[in-house]
Amino acid sequence: MISNLAAGIGLRQPHYGEVFERRPALGFLEVHSENFFLDGGASMRVLERARAAYPISLHGVGLSLGSADALAEQHLAKLQRLVERIEPDLVSEHLSWGAVGGRHFNDLLPLPSTREALDLMCARVDRVQSALKRPILIENVSAYVAYRGNEMSEFGLLAELARRTGCGLLLDLNNLYVNAVNFGLDPLAALNELTPAMIGEIHLAGHTGTDVGLIDTHGTRVCADVWSLYDEACRRLGPHPTLIEWDTDLPTLDVLLDEAGIAASVAARSEVAHA
Amino acid sequence: MPDLLACEHDIAGALCDTRESARAVRWLTGDAALNERRLAIYRANTAAATTKALGAAYPVIEQVLGPSAFAILARDYQRLAPSTSGDLNELGAALADVVAGHEMGQSLPYLADLARLEWAAHRAYGAADALPFDARAIAQLPAQQQATIRFVWAGGTALVASRFPIVRIWRIHQAGFDGEFSVDWSTGEVALVAREGLRVAVHAVDGGDAAFIAASLAGEPVGAAAERALANDAGFDLGRLLTWLITANVICAIHNSEWEP
Repeated sequence: MISNLAAGIGLRQPHYGEVFERRPALGFLEVHSENFFLDGGASMRVLERARAAYPISLHGVGLSLGSADALAEQHLAKLQRLVERIEPDLVSEHLSWGAVGGRHFNDLLPLPSTREALDLMCARVDRVQSALKRPILIENVSAYVAYRGNEMSEFGLLAELARRTGCGLLLDLNNLYVNAVNFGLDPLAALNELTPAMIGEIHLAGHTGTDVGLIDTHGTRVCADVWSLYDEACRRLGPHPTLIEWDTDLPTLDVLLDEAGIAASVAARSEVAHA
Repeated sequence: MPDLLACEHDIAGALCDTRESARAVRWLTGDAALNERRLAIYRANTAAATTKALGAAYPVIEQVLGPSAFAILARDYQRLAPSTSGDLNELGAALADVVAGHEMGQSLPYLADLARLEWAAHRAYGAADALPFDARAIAQLPAQQQATIRFVWAGGTALVASRFPIVRIWRIHQAGFDGEFSVDWSTGEVALVAREGLRVAVHAVDGGDAAFIAASLAGEPVGAAAERALANDAGFDLGRLLTWLITANVICAIHNSEWEP
């Protein structure tokens, strides 16, 4: 069980050696599940070592739960094998699709917020949770396009998904912020849809501004606006295990630890306020 | 057809082909021109994921071509052999075939074989860990049975034959290589790709060794595989080869049941 006050970082290959040498005080480590869909070898050994030293969160990016034609059962079987092998503390995936008609885009494409999409996601999350024999967390994704004909808000859909399936939510505040800017929405309105018990984890990351909107690049420090949003989310919904997500232009380990330290101090402050 | 499936098909069509953007845009709110530009972000994401996954499996080819040419190869790969899996470890299996028909493969004719070598190394990296093998199990067998046993090879073991010196090319591109960079282009090489512990090892093997390993990997018993090796190279030394392969745990068990081809 990861403490609600825990802050973690993504464990990425350039930092493997340093993390094991220094054993920094972190609440948990998160890895992309698919990087460990392997039978054995050096990567698996690293994950097993990490598992012995830290709580582990397996974050999936390739299951494509929202593919309307089919769920990738083979992918689910690989995830199931990894979960059985590692016994992680958290398992998460996304409210997204990435493949249709046998073609995979290896991306997290947004779903429309319709009853049809909600029903599909409920069926898929039920299937995954029964295969893994545990609840999973579902994350809100960043988006660059929005659909016509939405029948509810994105977070209304996520909250209903959590109520119907018993899954938790992985609240990505950078994605929420990116979408709020890209589509002119109020990010705080989304928080009103959620209850503290629904949230299993929070993601914080950096993004990049371009002339067509904000792009979720995970390649910079968390910006001031997202830190404010985090502060507000902690105040309203209490602290939850929080991950600093950084995937491109990876900085030194110290930069990640510094960001995780900021998250931990914000969470601790909100805990005092909640007490 | 339900809306969501139709919507996903239309967006997928637009991501594969910019001329199909209008099909996607009709599902979207907001300014059509802006939406077309934002669809390009998704196309770039898929291109970046493809390039990164191919680069992870083919680090030597990426070095040989340089980042710009490699990105072009990745773009062409995506068009010719699109991803079918959310597991990016699987992406790249067709690179040798794609390279063979690509102008880059025509100007660098060794590139397709180098791709086969790197794909074998990529598969070996994540193969199951071999259990330790006590070679006394062989010595304890009656002499007449020793020729009929078959070897179990460590997961990921593969042979890649080329008319180019692919092992040498592979080796001089490894991180930390500090020897001289000359390549003798007059000879081909057979690469043995094998996991040795957690490390992926690549060795050049000669004709007799290659014939034995190929036959044994295909399931032939030791005696038959050794005959093939001797036919290839009268000086083939089975004892030396087995000592090496068993010590390195590349041969990791024996079957002494009847051989069923």
